[in-house]
Amino acid sequence: MDIAITLCVNVYCVVSDRMSGDEMNPAAVAQAVVDVQGDDRWMSQHTRFVLECKDAEPEVLFIGDSMVQLMQQYEVREHGHLCVLLCLLCCWVRHPKSPAADPRTIVTRGRECTDVPYKRAISVDHASCQFNLHFKVWRELFSPLHALNFGIGGDTTCNVLWRLQNGELDNIWPKVAVVWVGTNNYEHSAEQVAGGIFAIAQLLTSRLPKTKVVVLGLLARGERPNPLREKNAAVNGLLRSLLPQLGQAQFLDVGEGFVHSDGTISTRDMFDFLHLTSAGYRAIAKPLSDLLLQILEETPEERRASLV
Amino acid sequence: MSAEDSNPAATPTPCVDTQGDGRWMSLHNHFVSNSKDKEPDVLFVGDSLVQLLHQFEVWRELFSPLHALNFGVGGDATQHVLWRLSNGELAHISPKVVVLWVGTNNHGHTAEQTCGGIMAIVQLIKDKLPNAQTVILGLLPRGKMPNPLRDRNARVNKLVQEAVSSLPHASLLNVDPGFVHSDGSISHQDLYDYLHLTPQGYQAVCQTIHTHLKGLLEKTG
Repeated sequence: MDIAITLCVNVYCVVSDRMSGDEMNPAAVAQAVVDVQGDDRWMSQHTRFVLECKDAEPEVLFIGDSMVQLMQQYEVREHGHLCVLLCLLCCWVRHPKSPAADPRTIVTRGRECTDVPYKRAISVDHASCQFNLHFKVWRELFSPLHALNFGIGGDTTCNVLWRLQNGELDNIWPKVAVVWVGTNNYEHSAEQVAGGIFAIAQLLTSRLPKTKVVVLGLLARGERPNPLREKNAAVNGLLRSLLPQLGQAQFLDVGEGFVHSDGTISTRDMFDFLHLTSAGYRAIAKPLSDLLLQILEETPEERRASLV
Repeated sequence: MSAEDSNPAATPTPCVDTQGDGRWMSLHNHFVSNSKDKEPDVLFVGDSLVQLLHQFEVWRELFSPLHALNFGVGGDATQHVLWRLSNGELAHISPKVVVLWVGTNNHGHTAEQTCGGIMAIVQLIKDKLPNAQTVILGLLPRGKMPNPLRDRNARVNKLVQEAVSSLPHASLLNVDPGFVHSDGSISHQDLYDYLHLTPQGYQAVCQTIHTHLKGLLEKTG
């Protein structure tokens, strides 16, 4: 109990940007990536994401490192369950809204409703929340989804903070923001990393008060037990207690099952003992889709009234 | 003084575990033991462009039927691949063709040094697998707009082409289908981070590789 209290106090200090003493938490300091290789790819990707914000009206925003970025490369053909998840989100949020809904979006949705054949393909029984999908039309449903993927390989919490503060949240109002970052924070302690992730969640909830924030736990890594696994697990433990302080944010552990009873991770799940295979992404789609559906089921009063 | 000593790109060098989870060595050991009960006709070896290829549908469609093994490791430069092939990854297999794709991560090395690294790998393969053909894939352009790394990669390709022109056991295959548009830009639809290929990007590249491999395998019988 004493240890828990001490840890919470330490983390509170970290989270409030002050360590014992006057240092800022370095993992909570926004920082752009410096182009050392010479082709400026990080800034090119950031610039593209900022541009995407101008035209896109995403229902879901994914932000983070390569774990987020690679997810998009497996989409459609490779990653059936994530397709289902995102398609369900698409259909849920595009069903008829109450007159109190944002007039700016009604026109857009009206146009999309006539373009997209999803109404023929999907029947939604709201009362019992049963979804009946015709799997042939997954590809047609996925493209109008407007899920934005702002993942960049190698990013730390500092880099994600910088990107969110420098345009990647401009003009978008997603229903859900999924945050997955922290495994690349090699220079920082578990407490610092948790503080950095918390700072990201805090930024999102303050900039987008209506957006639900889902923070994914860091996965185990390396073929066998090693210090980074312990560190990532410690980060997750801290986030579990920290995130409930932000009403709109919650923590989701998607790492169950990757570490086998002998302590090893298989290349079938993580092809380099860090990055997920398509089978690995299929495994995390289940807990992620369960949570996102649960969030969407918590519909506000005015929306419930319009659903008949 | 040998050429190897003066060229860091051609000096077998293992990757040092700076992150703390030993993944590079795990992968290397995995490749060595994995090869003990396999009889591949084709071996792909190189960096993340090789490694990621293994994750997409195109591998199953085009290269599994050719009995191919994939020894790609993200981040590898020529000296890392040289070390891996010198330390067991070729010990238990006799592929007819080795597809080598490495060099874009040789940061800090000149184009000449990188070419030297690639040619050292080609020589090593010839020493260990005297009957194998080595197909070197040309380095792709990178970065959204023109930049020094594009020039460097293009120069590496040119130097390698010259170096293999007299070799019966090795060749350079240009797999760039034209990723650079007329305005000098590269699209994220082909290279999602202006370096790594999307599944769409791989489709274009792999058709060329597949056609070439089929021709080679038919010749070797």
